[in-house]
Amino acid sequence: MENEAHIQSRSRIQDYEPIVGRSNIEELRMLAEVLGGKIVQNINSTFVGGGVAEILEHMVPLFNQLGVDARWDVVHGNEEFFEVTKKFHNAIHGGDEKISAEDFALFSKVTQQNLEELRFYGDILIIHDPQPVGLIAKKKEIGRKWVWRCHIDASNPDKRVWKFLRGFVVDYDAAIFSAPSFAQQLPIRQFLITPSIDPLSDKNKELDSGTIDSVLTKYGLTSDKPMIVQISRFDRLKDPLGVIEAFEMVKKSIDCQLVLAGGTATDDPESEEVLEEVRKRAEGNHDIHILLISPGSDIEINALQRAATVVMQKSLKEGFGLTISEALWKAKPVIATAVGGIPLQIRNKLTGVLCYSVEGAAYALRQLLSNPEYANQLGKNGKEHVRQNFLITNHIKDYLLMFIALAQPSDIIYL
Amino acid sequence: MLDWLSENWLYIAVPLLVYLASYIVGLWVRRIAYRAFDRWAAKGKWEGNPLVVQATRTPFLAWFMILGAYLAVRVSILDTSTKALADKVLVALFIISVTWVAASLSEKLLRLYIGKVKRLQPSEALIVNITRITIAVVGALILLDALGAPTTPIILFLAAAVFIAALVSRDLLTNFFSGFQLVQGEQIKVGDFIRLESGEGGYVTAVTWRTTQIRGLDGNLILVPNSRLLQSTVINYGRPLKKASEPFRFYARLHLKEVTGLKACNLTELVDTLKKVPGSVIYYHTHNFLEEYQYLTPEPANDFALWVNDELGNEVLGEKLASIDTFGFPTIAALRARIIGVIEDYLSKNPDGRTAPLGREFHFIRSISVILPTPYIAHDLREFIEVLRKVSTDSISFHVFEARLRLQKGVNDFSIWIEDCLGDKDLADKLAYLDPYNYTLEGLRSTIIQLVEKRIK
Repeated sequence: MENEAHIQSRSRIQDYEPIVGRSNIEELRMLAEVLGGKIVQNINSTFVGGGVAEILEHMVPLFNQLGVDARWDVVHGNEEFFEVTKKFHNAIHGGDEKISAEDFALFSKVTQQNLEELRFYGDILIIHDPQPVGLIAKKKEIGRKWVWRCHIDASNPDKRVWKFLRGFVVDYDAAIFSAPSFAQQLPIRQFLITPSIDPLSDKNKELDSGTIDSVLTKYGLTSDKPMIVQISRFDRLKDPLGVIEAFEMVKKSIDCQLVLAGGTATDDPESEEVLEEVRKRAEGNHDIHILLISPGSDIEINALQRAATVVMQKSLKEGFGLTISEALWKAKPVIATAVGGIPLQIRNKLTGVLCYSVEGAAYALRQLLSNPEYANQLGKNGKEHVRQNFLITNHIKDYLLMFIALAQPSDIIYL
Repeated sequence: MLDWLSENWLYIAVPLLVYLASYIVGLWVRRIAYRAFDRWAAKGKWEGNPLVVQATRTPFLAWFMILGAYLAVRVSILDTSTKALADKVLVALFIISVTWVAASLSEKLLRLYIGKVKRLQPSEALIVNITRITIAVVGALILLDALGAPTTPIILFLAAAVFIAALVSRDLLTNFFSGFQLVQGEQIKVGDFIRLESGEGGYVTAVTWRTTQIRGLDGNLILVPNSRLLQSTVINYGRPLKKASEPFRFYARLHLKEVTGLKACNLTELVDTLKKVPGSVIYYHTHNFLEEYQYLTPEPANDFALWVNDELGNEVLGEKLASIDTFGFPTIAALRARIIGVIEDYLSKNPDGRTAPLGREFHFIRSISVILPTPYIAHDLREFIEVLRKVSTDSISFHVFEARLRLQKGVNDFSIWIEDCLGDKDLADKLAYLDPYNYTLEGLRSTIIQLVEKRIK
């Protein structure tokens, strides 16, 4: 089975100059030069689906263009393993999960298999999320710099699961979290690096109106009434039922339509079940459109976001919520719950609207649908906020800085 | 053989005598002619005289020798066809030597003339080569005509070749004529500071017949085709300004956020933690909003004020913390003491109040600064402005905020350089008194540029 990703570069690093400025790209080149010849090995659990895979798919080729030898491998596991890691995922988010001793044993067994199968060739190893966290056992044998990248909201984790994972995490050289509130009391350095979107990817690039219209036609959508869109995989933590509830409250006074669009990931066996629940809940309401988007349909997601009047992200728990940055980049007004990394992207009433309940979401929807100028201003601010903080070039810069900081533990580093 | 020579010696002797006579006449005529020429030239004091003499003196005698050979052949007993062949060889030799002299003399005279006209100097090699080639082509055509070869097809071929060459090298020619126009019109001169439409700028180091060379702000040499210079909008700022005793090297400060793991739920915890965190934490929380939301507001509040206001709902203390003028503190220690003082003063008169909801605590973050040298260096205020237009806001942050407060220089880097290396205290003071916290980073960039531009106008 293929472990290592061989990905082709879609964009050239210089293509980002008109978006972020030439001087910023020059700085990336200078930082990359400092690392000269180091191999950065990323390990996660899937090549396809989910935010991590999406970021690595775009980031790895750009690192390589800058002269940093970045590579990407995945751990393997059976369905039972991914069910266990899904439980871990939910438990880190604070969910009440029943995790047995057998589950922990299975996790350790699959980790051991991956330790034997995988090649560890990086000078710096970045291990993403809980699934491959146990690979740190290899550090005793080979040394090198190991960083654990936690993409999940770990602000209030299940104590038992966190204690189990913490046993691995403390052996790393550093951990990365997406938001300050995710950080834990750990004896290792903890960096704050937010994830990012690629403005030149199919999901975020500019689209002509013909492409947008054709996607709307394909899914039977019309642009003659305001469209509320939530893009996320079918997961209870994204609260799709709550979105439907908020929509129904708004629908009483404003004629609009709701689009819930998303896909499934290979490491999330629960999503099919959630999709069925959502379909059942929406039955009979012709203004609610449940769209199952297959992996790789990025242009379609892009088109749906661009066609939206308001974008929602009513997550109950969220790692970071990249769909928000995607929507903001398209200058769309966004309503989202103040969980996880969302407040980093949305400063309430400046770059979007934060809500805490279904009623709050409905209220915000009514405000934005009734005041398009206000909505436009939020979208405009949001786009600049993303340009400043959440584009892939910022993300690369943070990683490069972290590699440098790992070697020089000081508050001020002169290169 | 000897018998034939004794009977026909006159057939050999007469041509030889004619040849020798021509040579002697040649020597005599050259002597007379060049003396007369020298006397005439002495009156005019033309600098080209020695060149004319130098170029023609030796060939002049050679032409008499060719004439002698021609006459010798005429009086000889050679048959008609041999004579005709000899005539052609001699005519060819004569034309070649005249062409050679013309080319050589033209080159010498052109170099003499161009040496005096500075504007033409960049194009000297091109002008000399074109002249040489033209004379050589004309000489070759005359020679072919003299030898009876059909020249019309050759002229047509040459015309076609010139036309094709002109088409193929039209960019080259455009650049050449553009360069000539630039030089003649004195629109751009060596030493001028120019800025192109693309944003590139620098001092002009040379104007050649194809390109104009500019020393870019990053020290690299930029070669701009002359035609592009003429076709685009170019700002010429003219001659260099006063050079600084030391150039200003621009640095950029990139920062990485490191979570300390420390957090506060209420004011007491906030103030207690503030007392023990490193200075890099204080710096981060008093400058974070400025950088992350720089497009939103020109007057950002520090993170402490925002948290106290938003999460603890304490608008009174929030306002007091927001009104702390960061610009008024020369060091982070002094700034920290002031923030702690404001909170402690409030707590001495009021109860601690609300606790932040779960997940909305204040998280202490440390800023790790990575400082890297950019390739940009300014030697004078013109270069300084142009570099300032190009560098990232990370560079402006470093020289204005970080240098003043975190590196404890007390004043921004730009003011220090302008005063110490350019001796312009007035401008240095203007920049030093500028409160950078009242601007967005882009606004600050524009304001500094305007101040300096006003100064150098």
